[in-house]
Amino acid sequence: MNNKRTHATNATAAASQGDSGMTSETKLARPVNCNKRGVNWQPARRRLAGPSPPLHSPSRIVRWHCWELRNQARNVIRNVHRRRHRRHRIPRARHLHESLLPLPSVSLRAVRRPPSIMANQTPAVVMDNGTGFSKLGFAGNDSPSFVFPTAIATKGPAGGAGGSGSGRPAVGNKPSFLTGGAGSGGHLSSKRGTEDLDFFIGDEAIAASGGPGYGLHYPIRHGQIENWDHMERFWSNSIFKYLRVEPEDHYFLLTEPPLNPPENRENTAEIFFESFNCAGMYIAVQAVLALAASWTSSKVQDRSLTGTVIDSGDGVTHVIPVAEGYVIGSSIKSIPIAGRDITYFVQSLLRDRGEADSSLKTAQEIKEEYCYVCPDIVKEFSKYDRDRSRFAKHVVTHPNGRQVSVDVGYERFLAPEIFFNPEIYSSDFLTPLPTVVDGVIQQSPIDVRRGLYKNIVLSGGSTLYKDFGRRLQRDIKQLVDARIRASEVRSGGARSGGLDVQVITHKRQRHGPWFGGSLLGQTPEFRSYCHTKAEYQEYGPSIVRRFALLGGPGGA
Amino acid sequence: MSQSLRPYLQCVRSSLTAALTLSNFASQTAERHNVPEIEAQSSPEVLLTPLTIARNENERVLIEPSINSVRISIKIKQADEIEHILVHKFTRFLTQRAESFFILRRKPIKGYDITFLITNFHTEEMLKHKLVDFIIQFMEEVDKEISEMKLFFD
Amino acid sequence: MLLLDYQNVLIQSVLTERFSGAPPASIDQTVSDFDGVTFHISTPETKTQILLSIQIRCFQDLVQYGAEEVLQREYGQYVAPVEPGFDFSVMVDLENIPETKEERDALALKFALLKRNAMAAPFEQAYQEHYQLREEASKFTSEEAPQGVQEGGQVKAIHYREEEAIYLKASHDRVTVIFSTVFREETDRVFGKVFIQEFVDARRRAIQNAPQVLFRNDPPLELQDVPGVRNTGTGEIGYVTFVLFPRHLTPQRMADVISHIQTFRDYFHYHIKASKAYIHSRMRKRTADFLQVLRRARPENEEKERKTASGRTFKVQGN
Repeated sequence: MNNKRTHATNATAAASQGDSGMTSETKLARPVNCNKRGVNWQPARRRLAGPSPPLHSPSRIVRWHCWELRNQARNVIRNVHRRRHRRHRIPRARHLHESLLPLPSVSLRAVRRPPSIMANQTPAVVMDNGTGFSKLGFAGNDSPSFVFPTAIATKGPAGGAGGSGSGRPAVGNKPSFLTGGAGSGGHLSSKRGTEDLDFFIGDEAIAASGGPGYGLHYPIRHGQIENWDHMERFWSNSIFKYLRVEPEDHYFLLTEPPLNPPENRENTAEIFFESFNCAGMYIAVQAVLALAASWTSSKVQDRSLTGTVIDSGDGVTHVIPVAEGYVIGSSIKSIPIAGRDITYFVQSLLRDRGEADSSLKTAQEIKEEYCYVCPDIVKEFSKYDRDRSRFAKHVVTHPNGRQVSVDVGYERFLAPEIFFNPEIYSSDFLTPLPTVVDGVIQQSPIDVRRGLYKNIVLSGGSTLYKDFGRRLQRDIKQLVDARIRASEVRSGGARSGGLDVQVITHKRQRHGPWFGGSLLGQTPEFRSYCHTKAEYQEYGPSIVRRFALLGGPGGA
Repeated sequence: MSQSLRPYLQCVRSSLTAALTLSNFASQTAERHNVPEIEAQSSPEVLLTPLTIARNENERVLIEPSINSVRISIKIKQADEIEHILVHKFTRFLTQRAESFFILRRKPIKGYDITFLITNFHTEEMLKHKLVDFIIQFMEEVDKEISEMKLFFD
Repeated sequence: MLLLDYQNVLIQSVLTERFSGAPPASIDQTVSDFDGVTFHISTPETKTQILLSIQIRCFQDLVQYGAEEVLQREYGQYVAPVEPGFDFSVMVDLENIPETKEERDALALKFALLKRNAMAAPFEQAYQEHYQLREEASKFTSEEAPQGVQEGGQVKAIHYREEEAIYLKASHDRVTVIFSTVFREETDRVFGKVFIQEFVDARRRAIQNAPQVLFRNDPPLELQDVPGVRNTGTGEIGYVTFVLFPRHLTPQRMADVISHIQTFRDYFHYHIKASKAYIHSRMRKRTADFLQVLRRARPENEEKERKTASGRTFKVQGN
């Protein structure tokens, strides 16, 4: 949150309480003493209360305006939604809470509840455990509190191949729900005392595995949990050591990859409810959360959960179509090109030139610092040849203090180019990303295609290159337009109204799913979407097979 | 293996082997249905006399045979509160995975901790003596596991 | 990880990073800690001024027992006007922090210990009370001591969680700390009991110096007249009593003892959960073994069973 915004959002926050006479200071200070439990913060009544006439202070006037704007926005939205309701025949009361509806400028702070309320209701814990990294934090924050490798170091030798944490689908490596990967822990009966507490997670695990006696394990493979023993301990440590929360006091929002088998959900629920006694939990699909995260972009007008998510992390890139909050599983496509490949490609270019330092770390630094996407490679080459200032120098400092300078040249635009022209890097995968995206949408049901084209959302670290979204949009648009023209010709003179293609780039792309979770987890109605411990005990683990769609129309 | 356990398990083994003589038998009450008669309890003439084998008041096995299905319920030894909790947790854990255990009943018979339901379809598919082996081994290992888990606490 | 840290890891890491000379950036994070404590770390005005606010459920109790003095003593120059909605705030200016790395790390740690320090106040007060009573008691022989000295000080109650509280009572020869703790679940209660038994046994066996620990399901005698203590009789609430004897009560060991005892509840619950995790992993292993045995019952050549991608099994029909 930048400083400029703080003032304005304070004003909105104050206005959102509909305070009608008190100055903002007293209003904000008040809730401390009146925070009797059970007092609900009631937005509906606020609307009726109306603002006080603007009086003397300038800040009051600002607030008054905000209030006006808010009201206007609300009316517009209400109308829009009323229309939508009619279409879906969904009772209005079930609808998205108003505080989530778009305001003139959407920000987390603006929809945040006053702190005293938050204390009575502990913030939800948002955990996004990915193949490579886990993102942990509290709902309402704009970035995760902890980001560390999903790794655990335990006493004994490393399990399996150890370290790569590959995101690639491997052949014949099916997860087993029953053994829970318990295979490596074969000497359980010989365990006594505190051995089971002797382990490290995250960065500490990586450090510990460098020393003797510890083996490194990655409990998540290809997005899915494979070793439940390790995952359970990983969670336990995340909760108690890093987040420092008592799970009984908090609701949890967890994420899962698309096409996660329901048995995995049940196992997760079993751990969270039986081991941790957590108050309640919700499991959301990462792609859907990534869509929710894009609501912060100014380009998004209606907060629908329909769109195509391009999720590119370290190991693999997924293209996932989502219609009204539900993943269209049959149309998902994976591309074996992602962050790691770009790093390798940069490295190979450095090696070809014989640079003084071509380690993977240097390649990664260059990738993160200098790379961008160009509109046309040929033109970009000639631009570089005309203008030598485009070549950069990257200084690498070795641990011993020696400094080495590495030239950075064409890889600046060539490296991300492998998404668009894979043939320059790979010999077995040759379909450009825009073609894959177009193919995915064409495979989806015809009635949602328009929505999928209109809302292509980026997520993950490898989508952060400058102009990545622009290039993607242009290329997809070209494909779409060509097809429309061809069909116009075939139909003999019929005119098409055209198709809107829009790629959404936003500020929260890097931790998109986590941020989406944070956004949805802080809404007042979040808890009503969760399954509680009591419900779990009543119905058993199968209850987590179904969750009401968080943030979407309708609901429980 | 303690002195009283061996005859106990031997007795369960023989009784089970005898009880597992099952044949395909269509339901007499509903046409084109084939249900485990021991569960349906609709035709008394195809049910056999249930049999209880008890080692002591805390450990016993109930075998309920019928023409096409046998129910085997086991009461696991629970000496104190911790063992009670551990048994409860363990059987819950197992029944939640009943899908892959084929012969595990999702709910135990009242008064017992865990119940297996073996039908003629199971005996046709699987080797009978191996199924008996499984039940016996299960009984042995559950006791061992519970006492080991308890040891962990002490 | 056997013991829990006393400080908040996130606050420590954020501040250490800020103090290490990284370019100033704006921060705005709400952070939870155990026992419903909420921190808010932010840079409200400029990027160099970091404001850290804390909200504790029982702050009223703590103030009553001298929390403000303790915090003033600990944070002195860093104390800032309290942020609305919170109970206490400290502010640090990045342009005005100690020079050396060690001092900076120490400062970060000090900030991260905000919750511990706030909660320490009643303990410190109990310590002082104990010293005072000991002083007075030393003037008398045990028989003729006046009533007040023998009985000791008032019971201090800190309602640090919704249904749970810490009670402190100082007397001339000991300080008694009583935790009331609620078990929502039967399993937790049983496991908890085993753990407490361990504590009790530990003293009997090897560690003679450990404080005496008692566990019971009805309020101990010390709490007889304390308002708000109820006897449910269901065993849901357990009372864990620590008796700190003079050897724990030396001023040198005070800080350590206070830190330890504060994290007791969380430590306790953490271990209950960790042992559940251990039992889970054993059960997984055993279940896998059982399945293996059951699988042996199938004849070898049976290849009709197939698996779907999700691991479910099904049979191919009609061949």
